[in-house]
Amino acid sequence: MAINSIGSATSPIIRSLIDMRAQFDDLQRQLSTGQKSATYAGLGPNRGLAVDLNTQLSAIAGFGSTIDTVTTRINLAQNALSAISDIGNSIRSSVVQGSSSAGLAGANITQVNAQSSVQQLLALLNTQGANGYLFSGRATDQSAVDTYDHIINGDGPRAGLKQLISERGQADLGADGLGRLLIGAPTATSVSLSEDAVSPFGFKLASVTSTLANATITGPSGAPASLSVDFSAAPNDGGSLTVRLNMPDGTSENLTLTATSQSPPGPNQFSIGATPAATAANLKSALTAALGTLAGGALKAASAVQASNEFFDADLANPPQRVDGPPFDTATSLIAGTSANTVIWYTGEAGAGSARDTATARIDSSLVVSYGTRANEQGVRSVVQNVATLAAVNTSSDPNAADLTAALYQRLAVNLAGAPGTQSVNDIAADLAGVQTSMKAAKATHQQTSATLTDFLQQIQGVSNEQVGAELLALQTRMQAALQTTAMLSQISLVNYLK
Amino acid sequence: MSLTEALTTSLTGLNAAQTGLSLVASNVANAQTPGYVRKTVSLVNSSVGTTGGGVQVASINRVLDRFVQAQLRTESAGGGYADLRAQMYEQLQNLYGAPGSTNTLESSFNAFTTALQALTTSPGDRPTQVAVISAAQTLAQQLNGMSAGIQSLRSQAELGLADDVSQANTALQQIAQLNQQLGASQSDSATAALEDQRDSYIAQLSKLMDIRVIAGDHNQVTVFTTSGVQLVGAQASTLSFDAQGTMAPQAQWSADPTKRTVGTITLTAPNGGGTTDLLATNSIRSGEIAAYVDMRDRTLVQAQTQLDQFAAAMASALSDHTTAGTAIVSGAQSGFDIDIGSLSAGNSVSLTYTDNGTGTQHAVTFVRVDDPSVLPLSNSATTNPDDTVVGIDFSGGVASVVSQINAALAGTGVSASNPSGTTLRLLDDGAANTADVNAVSATVTATSLSGGIELPFFIDGATPYTGAITASGLQSTGLASRIAVNSALAADPTQLVAYQSGAASGDGTRPNFIYDQLANASHAYAPSSGIGTSAAPFSGTAGAFLRQVISLQGQAASNAASLKQGQDVVVSALQQRYDATSGVNIDQEMSDLLNLQNAYAANARVMSTVKDMLAELMQLGN
Repeated sequence: MAINSIGSATSPIIRSLIDMRAQFDDLQRQLSTGQKSATYAGLGPNRGLAVDLNTQLSAIAGFGSTIDTVTTRINLAQNALSAISDIGNSIRSSVVQGSSSAGLAGANITQVNAQSSVQQLLALLNTQGANGYLFSGRATDQSAVDTYDHIINGDGPRAGLKQLISERGQADLGADGLGRLLIGAPTATSVSLSEDAVSPFGFKLASVTSTLANATITGPSGAPASLSVDFSAAPNDGGSLTVRLNMPDGTSENLTLTATSQSPPGPNQFSIGATPAATAANLKSALTAALGTLAGGALKAASAVQASNEFFDADLANPPQRVDGPPFDTATSLIAGTSANTVIWYTGEAGAGSARDTATARIDSSLVVSYGTRANEQGVRSVVQNVATLAAVNTSSDPNAADLTAALYQRLAVNLAGAPGTQSVNDIAADLAGVQTSMKAAKATHQQTSATLTDFLQQIQGVSNEQVGAELLALQTRMQAALQTTAMLSQISLVNYLK
Repeated sequence: MSLTEALTTSLTGLNAAQTGLSLVASNVANAQTPGYVRKTVSLVNSSVGTTGGGVQVASINRVLDRFVQAQLRTESAGGGYADLRAQMYEQLQNLYGAPGSTNTLESSFNAFTTALQALTTSPGDRPTQVAVISAAQTLAQQLNGMSAGIQSLRSQAELGLADDVSQANTALQQIAQLNQQLGASQSDSATAALEDQRDSYIAQLSKLMDIRVIAGDHNQVTVFTTSGVQLVGAQASTLSFDAQGTMAPQAQWSADPTKRTVGTITLTAPNGGGTTDLLATNSIRSGEIAAYVDMRDRTLVQAQTQLDQFAAAMASALSDHTTAGTAIVSGAQSGFDIDIGSLSAGNSVSLTYTDNGTGTQHAVTFVRVDDPSVLPLSNSATTNPDDTVVGIDFSGGVASVVSQINAALAGTGVSASNPSGTTLRLLDDGAANTADVNAVSATVTATSLSGGIELPFFIDGATPYTGAITASGLQSTGLASRIAVNSALAADPTQLVAYQSGAASGDGTRPNFIYDQLANASHAYAPSSGIGTSAAPFSGTAGAFLRQVISLQGQAASNAASLKQGQDVVVSALQQRYDATSGVNIDQEMSDLLNLQNAYAANARVMSTVKDMLAELMQLGN
């Protein structure tokens, strides 16, 4: 190869020196930024893959932050749910104890306790996460439940729980306090018992059984239902008549009257008279007394439970069912309330579909978890409803205080335990725990995938410091040699040796 | 033979040495002059008297390897082309940003989808909603900015063309002038400098375009483009370029001068000869000019189309709603009813029917057109490669639409009617049973933010993007430069969730739809983006298309850079060979200088001896 002296600036040697300098600068840039290239062109054939990996990594980061957000929310919801469950259990144990040792002072304390528990429950249901209310379904910007005062006492023209219980109580007990049953004497020797109208209120005659001799029992039959007892002669001493009565809340009570030869008769007894007509008259007065007692206790408690059930089984689209009145004591039907005349306790969203689906999160490209909750879900509602009933019914000031308290406590204890097959607070918590488990698994997968992808991306976009260092060193040697020779070459010219 | 003969001979020797010396001086002085070709003197023996022979300067020669020179000219056009393309591709690459940095299109898109992911988790959260809007605005601005960058590169190419054309004109005129001067003068020492000059103009021209140089008699050269258009003979042709001031995505070159909105290069032959559009005839195939044209009319237009397609896919994916027709039976005929009342320009009704004669299924797409001048539409108006596209002018009302559809469907066995209102009924021919209508659907662009899950999230300036086709082109052209987040949505981000009246604030239906459409749904992209073909259009998620775009652009830029490197090696090797022959080597000049000095001294010595001898003769008489 011919060797040219350094002549023009376009000389290939100069050009290669410039090229080397540029390479040197680029290697230096690589070393300082850790990036192979400042443009996609320089990434090599895997540049498309790098874009893909970045997209995937960004999606995974998104899933990660979704999981973090949702974890926080579920933790908050779990805390609230476990507190709700605790309150339910504590009230339940106090009513179970209370029903065995009914005392008016104890009842007062239990009620005060229930009132503060309702306030706690409502506060828990209005828990807010980073994204608004947790128990409002899709309406995360609306509080889940109304205030304690509105719910229990009402809000101006809007009726609260107490008013609904009172109205329902009037409708169930009737003006005479006999549970809307009429006691009559169709003949001199007979006694009849009949419902006053076809209505959902008061006692309902379910069945009657008798061990009374010389008595003809008919019914209950017809609508409204009625039954009658006709004496042909004196019944046997100790024979009894049992009437099974259905209560408004779906429970039933037996009313048993026993014939006795003693006079005056004890409670739930009637004296056998000298004539069938006298016996019938005795039975009638005993029945009136017994019904009055049962109505003041069990029926009133059942009425309050049912009124509470109607009040809480409601949302904006389905307002509570109320007694169609006034007058309430002769009402024969229920009517839907409106949001103008009745407080709607649940103020969140109550659309179609399961509560869980009201909040969903995509935690993986193919995995969507549902973790929404609503305050009016059966499990939560049941706790609030029963505790609120206890808070709203003033048992101690009632004339039948002991009976009423016992009947109410018994019902609430059963209801708070939850019927088998219905949702409980723990079921909701279990659903959320399932979501937590899925998220944990997804997060672990994401971490692993992310590490692999980042590693891969680093191979495409990044540089190895060792390699760049070695290249720099090699280039430096080459450049030094080239510069040295260039300098020497420029010295070697005949011009320098001519004298 | 006489002493005076020797004297005369040595005088010619001194003259020759002096001429040589002046050439050495000129070579050394011009060692760094670009285009300077080393000159040598060629000497011949001339007879002086009867026996002696003097020396005479026959000519001054340029030391030139003509073969290498011709090759160098060809390759330097390629070098100019490759250099410029690599340089512009590099600038284009800068628009796509540094991989992994936060200001790239992909990172903006990823940030947008990540924000949407957060929104699907927290639909009712105001800060999350605002974050989605601002991420979308960043993405839109990124697209606007990149489009502006691409158009500014096109402007740069336009200006570069104007510069190059004016340089080429200067070179052409100088070559013609030098041709004349060289033709007039005798071939002697003066012509060498002129030829140097002419070669340097030709070298300049060869960087700008691919040329062929034919040497003729009387020192004349004729320059042609390699495609055979004569540029310079005895006289120069004139090139002209009508540069356009501003560059917009719609501005494109066309062979039809009435549609052309960018400059073109026109060649005017000398002496009132005709004019030729050099771009229409594709006469310039290499050199800087070809590189500029290539970038301005192909590469950059394609890069813009890619962004436009990306923008259009995003806009349509969120706003277009496809409704299936209602099945209807009318006597023996069966078919579908579809409402066409809400179709915007560019929206379409799709019909598939089976020709029972052949058993083949056909797809027909009726596209609403508001500008009848674009009719009829070509089948490439939709990305579906298998459908027949029929443009329908909606200006005449439903009755006119029905008659246009019936005209298009004539002979197929399918017919259209209008039972009431804006309902279009498409029925088969019943008992004749030549065809069965399989499906009818309408694709409509949502123009309001509520009333459906679809929403005009991104809009074209101030109007919804419907894909309208007008005389000024497709609505998608330049969409990336105009795309914006719907200002009504930006003003009220809760609309990201409130897809219908009464929708709860935390309802994830619409956020999930938006996320799915952008992250998971597949869309088809027009083959004019350079990705996919018209027979098999590219279909994939917006992210996959982006990957293709960046991959394709990166690959093209990388190819341009390696082409440049390869071409540089070729040009530099040729230049080296050319310089080895024609360049000035100082060492050689110095050794020539020594020789000339010796020759001069020797000749002078001869003179001095003759003088002594003559003096001897003079003294004989004394």
